[in-house]
Amino acid sequence: MRAYITKRLLIAVVTLVGMSMVIFFLMRLAPGNIVDILFESAGYVDQADKKTLERELGVDRPLVVQYARWLGELAHGDLGKSYRYDMPAWRIIKPRLPVTLELASLALLFSILLGVPFGVLSAVHQDRPLDYVLRVLSLAGLSMPAFWLGMVVILVFVRSLGWMPSVTYVSPFVDLPANLWQFVVPALAVGYRSSALIMRITRSAMLEVLREDYIRTAWAKGQRRTLVVWRHALKNASLPVITVIGIEFAFLIGGLVVTETVFNLPGVARYLVDAIQLRDYPVVQNLTMLIAIVVVLANLAVDLLYAWADPRIKYEKA
Amino acid sequence: MAVRTLDVGAASQILPVERPRGAALARFVRKKPLGAAGGFLVVVLVATAILANVLSTHNPVRTSNDILVAPGAPHWLGTDNLGRDLYSRVVHGSRISLLVGLASTLVGTILGGLIGLISGYAGGKTDLLAQRAMDIMQALPILVLALVLAAALGPSMTNAIVAISIPIVPRAARIIRASVLAIRETTYVEAARALGVRHMRVALRHILPNTMGPFIVLATAQLGGSILVEAALSFLGLGIPEPYPSWGRMLSIAAAEYAEKAPWLVIWPGLAISLAVFGTNLLGDALRDTLDPRLRGS
Amino acid sequence: MTPLRRCVRFASLALVLVLALTLPAPAQAPKHGGVLTIHPLTAPPSLSPHEESTIATVQQVSACYSSLVYFDPAKKQESPDTIIPELAEKWSWQDNYRNLVFLLRKDVKWHDGKPLTSKDVKHTFDMVRGAADADAKLRINPRKLWYENVEAIEAPDPHTVVFRLKRPQPSLLLLLASGYSPIYPAHVPLADLKTTCVGTGPYKLKEYRPGEFVEYVRNPDYFIKGRPYLDGVKWVYIKDRSTQIAALQAGQLDVAGSGWNRANAETAKKGKPELVVVENDSNVNDNVLVNAKRAPLTDPRVRRAVNLALDRKAYLVGPRLGAATFGGAMQPRPSGVWGLPAAEVATLPGMGDPAKQKAEAKKLLAEAGFGPNNPMKLTVSTRALAIYVDTASWMVDQLRQVGIDAVLEQIETGVWHPKMTRLDFQVALNLTGTAVDDPDAMFFENYRCGSQRNFSGYCSEEIDRLMVEQSQTLDRAKRLKLVNEIDRKLQAEGARPILGWAKQYAVYWPRVKAFPQHENSIFNTSRFQDVWLDK
Repeated sequence: MRAYITKRLLIAVVTLVGMSMVIFFLMRLAPGNIVDILFESAGYVDQADKKTLERELGVDRPLVVQYARWLGELAHGDLGKSYRYDMPAWRIIKPRLPVTLELASLALLFSILLGVPFGVLSAVHQDRPLDYVLRVLSLAGLSMPAFWLGMVVILVFVRSLGWMPSVTYVSPFVDLPANLWQFVVPALAVGYRSSALIMRITRSAMLEVLREDYIRTAWAKGQRRTLVVWRHALKNASLPVITVIGIEFAFLIGGLVVTETVFNLPGVARYLVDAIQLRDYPVVQNLTMLIAIVVVLANLAVDLLYAWADPRIKYEKA
Repeated sequence: MAVRTLDVGAASQILPVERPRGAALARFVRKKPLGAAGGFLVVVLVATAILANVLSTHNPVRTSNDILVAPGAPHWLGTDNLGRDLYSRVVHGSRISLLVGLASTLVGTILGGLIGLISGYAGGKTDLLAQRAMDIMQALPILVLALVLAAALGPSMTNAIVAISIPIVPRAARIIRASVLAIRETTYVEAARALGVRHMRVALRHILPNTMGPFIVLATAQLGGSILVEAALSFLGLGIPEPYPSWGRMLSIAAAEYAEKAPWLVIWPGLAISLAVFGTNLLGDALRDTLDPRLRGS
Repeated sequence: MTPLRRCVRFASLALVLVLALTLPAPAQAPKHGGVLTIHPLTAPPSLSPHEESTIATVQQVSACYSSLVYFDPAKKQESPDTIIPELAEKWSWQDNYRNLVFLLRKDVKWHDGKPLTSKDVKHTFDMVRGAADADAKLRINPRKLWYENVEAIEAPDPHTVVFRLKRPQPSLLLLLASGYSPIYPAHVPLADLKTTCVGTGPYKLKEYRPGEFVEYVRNPDYFIKGRPYLDGVKWVYIKDRSTQIAALQAGQLDVAGSGWNRANAETAKKGKPELVVVENDSNVNDNVLVNAKRAPLTDPRVRRAVNLALDRKAYLVGPRLGAATFGGAMQPRPSGVWGLPAAEVATLPGMGDPAKQKAEAKKLLAEAGFGPNNPMKLTVSTRALAIYVDTASWMVDQLRQVGIDAVLEQIETGVWHPKMTRLDFQVALNLTGTAVDDPDAMFFENYRCGSQRNFSGYCSEEIDRLMVEQSQTLDRAKRLKLVNEIDRKLQAEGARPILGWAKQYAVYWPRVKAFPQHENSIFNTSRFQDVWLDK
């Protein structure tokens, strides 16, 4: 087990370092440097000023030096400065974190609450009408663009059902009902799409397990079918489902980006889009790195969970 | 779908035996009605894209004074805020979606497939290095990577294709590599090597054809994903620029502004995207069940 | 009682009754209290008006600052006659409009408690005009040109400021009355003012969350006693238009409409008929930048053909949804002060019969050597924003109708201005909003040789000379004639064809009272010192 964990940790570190290089150089692909962009608003630029600023920002140093400097800042937890808004990026990101965290958690919750039971039902009733219906529903969820689903949901909920939450973020500690009112619809929209993936994996894992001899033995022995299904089968199918949740995370974040935009939630994912559209490259760079770190950590957590849960790994010889 | 039959070892269990084409198709429709339905949708998509000029009733970029007209003859799906016929725009939008989706999928899967092939076949250090590189690329969510790429490169069709194909590469590499690993260990290949057949020949003539199955499944599955990413990029203003009508972009500007007054502007382009992706997903699922029975039951 | 007396009594009662019923009811007394929640054009790039060129910053920061003078919120048309005192109690032109003396109020305090003095005024305008001995320097200075004519600024005592000009310029007073001319505190570092606000205005900054909201709270020490009426103002930004409309209808927003078009206003009202919709002209126009230095636009025939191809009436229906007016380089009358007469506007290129004008365009193109076998290739550039892209798409179609092979190029906001300044385009669709309806602002910024915002690179010595002449002309009638002459010449040369002048909208609940809207500017009405809520 220890070897497994060490290996996984090492891979995570290597991945993160590799990602930082990819992200850093990706951002340099853009035409014009950050100083050009800073001066866009008026089109009036003092050349001497520009040179000073370039020196100040270190844009005139070689790329490798800039990269090293950036890594150093990251290691100190310095998320850099938003040149658009002329303030530390952390100051803008901090109030947005709880929003994204809450949306992501609720969405994940909904995706599990929808995905797992549907997956089980689908597996138990394999190739029967219920199975087909559930599979079509889940596939439909995967096929719809997240932002379109959001738009349609808004059209229906706002127009027809009069759902109109607060226009500014309400913290759950200030007013829980208002906060839930604000989050439940977008979380469902994201959760529905994510649930499709979970449903499919649950279904296939369940099918594998249901075929196993010990299940059939239990049935033959007269144990109640539902009991067998939910206790034995689900427990053994849980491992692949946990893996998927790890992969899910990346998919979820993609869904968050458009959902926060469409539902006007001031979250971190939406800020990424804003920063891109405002050409605030230092922020884009750091935010993307942040997302990468979160995804890698989530996958690492899943891997570690695996190590603990899967006896094959637990007792693996060093 | 006919593939070579290997008469040695485990390989023959993986690959379906040759059958006459027509019978295979009929069997497919019967056994996998959902897949057939998906296939039908894909055919409709392709046909619409090819026959766009014939199927349109108006010029999709021609503005007019009939703005925000509700659906009804002569504008079957209504008009947008510049008086452009929505039906014709949706029809022509299929070209963009198909073109970009297909191009990025092909580029991504072929590139990724090649990497997976080399990585899986060569093994050792090359494999390890390639794997880590793929891990790194895969760590970022597809949309985020595509977004950042598109933003860095600028909005144009070529850049959009690049931005959408790159996230596909690691995913394709992983699947093809797994397939290659399985085949590489067969007795047949061992024997071929023992006989002195060169690496390149083994790779190209024996291993590659047998990865066709997973490759087709992968390509079909990714096609839907590519169409979605293109739509999302266009929605966020980073995809294909005007005047080409793109479903995603139709949803961003006009739809948000006029959703109340003209809900048809929101419904039809989105429905088009969903149906196109739905079709490819259904087809992809069915193909995977048929071509790669190891994954059957998912 | 005698019959006569009874008659008189009855008559006087009747008279009182009639008067009571027919005389206008006395205006409601404004109530104190309440927070006004209002939606801006977009999130502001920063909180420093002197460093920005967008209405987004000006509108969301006007509540916090004061200018020397201001335009009366209650008077719809801004003109020299509607200027009211703000930080300056009195002012006086001396020496035939060569010196402008301001006598400042003595009771004004900055939001941090320090008193306002003439030093702050001198500091602000020395900085903006780029004086050599200024104690602060603006990194980005879009309106430096406005103060080009200022020789020196003196502060002989703590409450007197003198602007010494090189030549007479009556319009300087109007430029100083704009929302773009607030007074900055000399004791606060310039860099701080991008993310915070220390002003003398009716409201103090409470919290600024970039991309989300800007929140203000009442300034209890405001120099006008009894004002403001509101307890606070909150500018809340919602990205999606239909959500904006829904939020207004649900009462979450008190006021919206900045950047809206007619369809949005109608939709909002349809859902909630109680909403008040105010539609006015504005001094924002859609114009076409024509780069005369780049082929094939070097040929005046080609330039004229492009101008003729753009059917203004179709522009009105399509991109503007029926809400726009036509004019030349200055906002058309009656809402604008300096516009060309309507009869003349009707004869400008693009205004006539579309079929004829397009035919004429084709003919001109043929003369220039283009035709069906040799179509002219043209790239129309615009900013990658919804309002721009729609109109530009329409433009591309109009050009294609005369046989030009036109395509649209969307340019990201970050790269737009540098590209324009470098003249790296052929034809571009642009939106221009000028802060003040005055030729000194409009002409100098957009048409003067070498002006940073003269994006089409237009340059004419004669026009420059006329511009300076009109700036010094004191007689208003004479000046109007000169201004019209300049306008006429500009339109004849197709320097920067104007597609149309946009309208502006404010949509709000009836409980919002005294919400100001001017008909020849959008930049000078967001102080909100007189707005109150009837709750």
